[in-house]
Amino acid sequence: MTIDILDRSITPAFQTIQEVFIPAVKNVTLSNGLPLHIINVGEQPIIKLELIFNAGNWFEDNKGASFFTTKMLNEGTSSHNSASISQFFDQYGAFTEFTHSVDRASFVLYGLSKHLGQLLPMVQEILQDSIFPQKELDTIKKIQQQTIQVNKEKTSFVANQKIRNSIFGENHPYGINLTQEVIESITRENLVKYYQSHWQNQPFRVFLSGKITDQEIELVNNILGSIPVGNTHNINYDYTDNGIDTTAFLIEKENALQSSVRLGKQLFTRSHPDYFNMLVVNEILGGYFGSRLMKNIREEKGLTYGIGSNVVPFSKSGYFIVGTDVKKEFTQLTIDEIVKEIQILRTELVSEEELTTVRNYMSGAFAGSLNTPFEIADRYKVIMSEQLPLDFYQQYFQHIQQVTSEDILATAQKHLDPTSLIEVAVGGK
Amino acid sequence: MISYSHFILNNGLKVYVHEDHSTPIAAVNILYNVGSRDEDENKTGFAHLFEHLMFGGSKNIASYDTPLQRVGGENNAFTSPDITNYYITLPSVNLETAFWLESDRMLSLSFDPKVLEVQQKVVIEEFKQRYLNQPYGDVWLKLRPLAYTTHSYRWATIGKEISHIENATMDDVREFFYKHYLPNNAVMVVAGNVTLEQVKQLSKKWFEPIPAGNVTPRNLPQEPRQMVARFLETNAKVPLDAVYKVFHTPARYADNFNAIDLASDILGRSKSSRLYNKLVKENPLFNSVNAYVTASLDPGLLVIQGNLNNGVSIEEGDAAIQEVLNEFLSQPVDEDELTKVKNQAESTLVFSEVELLNRAMNLAVAANAGDPESVNQETEKIQSVNAEQLSTSIKDVLRPENCSTLYYRSEA
Repeated sequence: MTIDILDRSITPAFQTIQEVFIPAVKNVTLSNGLPLHIINVGEQPIIKLELIFNAGNWFEDNKGASFFTTKMLNEGTSSHNSASISQFFDQYGAFTEFTHSVDRASFVLYGLSKHLGQLLPMVQEILQDSIFPQKELDTIKKIQQQTIQVNKEKTSFVANQKIRNSIFGENHPYGINLTQEVIESITRENLVKYYQSHWQNQPFRVFLSGKITDQEIELVNNILGSIPVGNTHNINYDYTDNGIDTTAFLIEKENALQSSVRLGKQLFTRSHPDYFNMLVVNEILGGYFGSRLMKNIREEKGLTYGIGSNVVPFSKSGYFIVGTDVKKEFTQLTIDEIVKEIQILRTELVSEEELTTVRNYMSGAFAGSLNTPFEIADRYKVIMSEQLPLDFYQQYFQHIQQVTSEDILATAQKHLDPTSLIEVAVGGK
Repeated sequence: MISYSHFILNNGLKVYVHEDHSTPIAAVNILYNVGSRDEDENKTGFAHLFEHLMFGGSKNIASYDTPLQRVGGENNAFTSPDITNYYITLPSVNLETAFWLESDRMLSLSFDPKVLEVQQKVVIEEFKQRYLNQPYGDVWLKLRPLAYTTHSYRWATIGKEISHIENATMDDVREFFYKHYLPNNAVMVVAGNVTLEQVKQLSKKWFEPIPAGNVTPRNLPQEPRQMVARFLETNAKVPLDAVYKVFHTPARYADNFNAIDLASDILGRSKSSRLYNKLVKENPLFNSVNAYVTASLDPGLLVIQGNLNNGVSIEEGDAAIQEVLNEFLSQPVDEDELTKVKNQAESTLVFSEVELLNRAMNLAVAANAGDPESVNQETEKIQSVNAEQLSTSIKDVLRPENCSTLYYRSEA
């Protein structure tokens, strides 16, 4: 008998995943012409229903109108008040979300499949008959104003706002902040008007994910397919961004123990030819735990609990950001080190070893992010809403496999000139 | 419903396998039965600091993260008062890499002084970022020692104070490792696109050679029944006054736990809860108010917390909460209301089993608490709570003398 002595210093053999399988989407047209996208995956008897509207900051005439309309959809209809709507969804153990972003707004419903038939009529009622009671608006405005008061005390919140409106401009939908003045100025009439022009009888996209059978599809068609949907009113919203000249901001907060540091600039949408390359550049710099910034600022110097960078794409533009919260006295050192790491990316080829790690990490993370029906639906949501090719994520996956060190260098040189970055520090230096 | 198989290695490591071949991914979750409740009261925050050190290299492997990232894996960990939990997801074809990495750090850490020095700084920045540099961030640093006089839940997992983290030594690190990070003090769950045979073979190869150690039986002083209401007032630069009321509850797996959990939902889980309806909507005294339980393995807390609207005094808010509690105690629970919170709890449970990693964690937590099958009995336990049991339970928990109240005042 031979005894194997285990040598723990030898790395076990491994494979690079070469392809990724994304379950297909089934597209159905409802009786009223609305698109229904179905992702039938998983064994749990659950559904997520998401209705996506052309609403969001981009579409509003009055600042804050879209946000408050979305937030107040479930605050009352002609037949049900706020409390009874909450009571209704809660009794079935269903959860609702009214999400609002810069480019669109959604009504999301999570529930057990067995309750879908009972839940849908209330969904329809909210879509067609929300009445925005004054009393509820007053309460919500007050809550929102006080929430802002709390958030203003957070250095990270202030820094995120400042960098966004410096990149895009204070009046641009991508840079706008919900201020006390904006909240104060919102009226019930603003909301009713916005609801009528962007929600009520307006076309929307339906995503149904979970364990979906013909029965669920029929239920959705019976209710949502019966809503009379008009043509979308074709107002061509257009904004010129009015970002500020490259500069540095310091907002002093005497009592802060840390500074929130942000460096950022405007980038582009997912359709830009450099988008995939930029995602890899970002990953190397600050996109994952093994990134250069994490290694330098956290693992070598211990200046922070965490540091990261991100590429954030919107429908009409996008931005790049590096962010961290650091010990106050090391604010300048941290900024210098971030710039130093960016310069290295722009002057030195990334080693094959590091690039392999990043490639494999990104591939594995992507494969691992398609585990639930909801995650898969989110991928298709991006594809459909942004009108990207159906194989967009396969392209992404292939691109990661093929990207070279030269691509990385060229992309960093082109898009990450440190003099083009806006710098924000909230706390102190 | 989470299906699983089970075996125990010769060194006492308990292994659970949950197969799901619909995914190309595997999850490996290792739970060590040690948390901040096991710390010395003069060296608090140590279990969590130790969690950071687990990523600083082990006996035969210089870096934990890089080899895992190279095979497409992701990982993280968390520490609670009760447990320390480490988890990996990776392409299932590379499962062995997870076994290699996790077994080596269970065998021995590198005990590199530089790693300790840097992670002390990192954790101190985490302490500041999450607990000191946030409005209301230090609430639990104040509430825990108010609610607990005796049990080690009286300090927060991050630690009582920064100096405890600064003072940690390499001797402390070694002692903690050999006391708690033992195969016979851990539970491993391997889930996803794996087979029982494969996991058995890999476990024997990588984990079985790790020697078992002496697990000291946990013998924590239990919290005496609270007989007098407690009160604390504090000031900070926050925009709104806030009130916190906490009550001692049964432990996570004790008989009346589910009843109390549902009671907290009735009081303050969602927008149809009693506190929200009465104190945010009907009579808007609060900006926000909610209630929940801490669900810890030793007796935990039912927490009610609210931020007051400008111009409303804390005293008035506190009295209004008490009025809601009095009404809850004096009238029998409404059947519809009970059905509602049961449905919410059941639905939450089903949704928590969608993600593979959550299934692995739920199973590990149940197995560590003594009965893996309890992970599949939760729905039944929730549904079996009746109005009478709930009324009896809240009479014991929501006693005024069982309450600790914190007034968190806004400094003008």
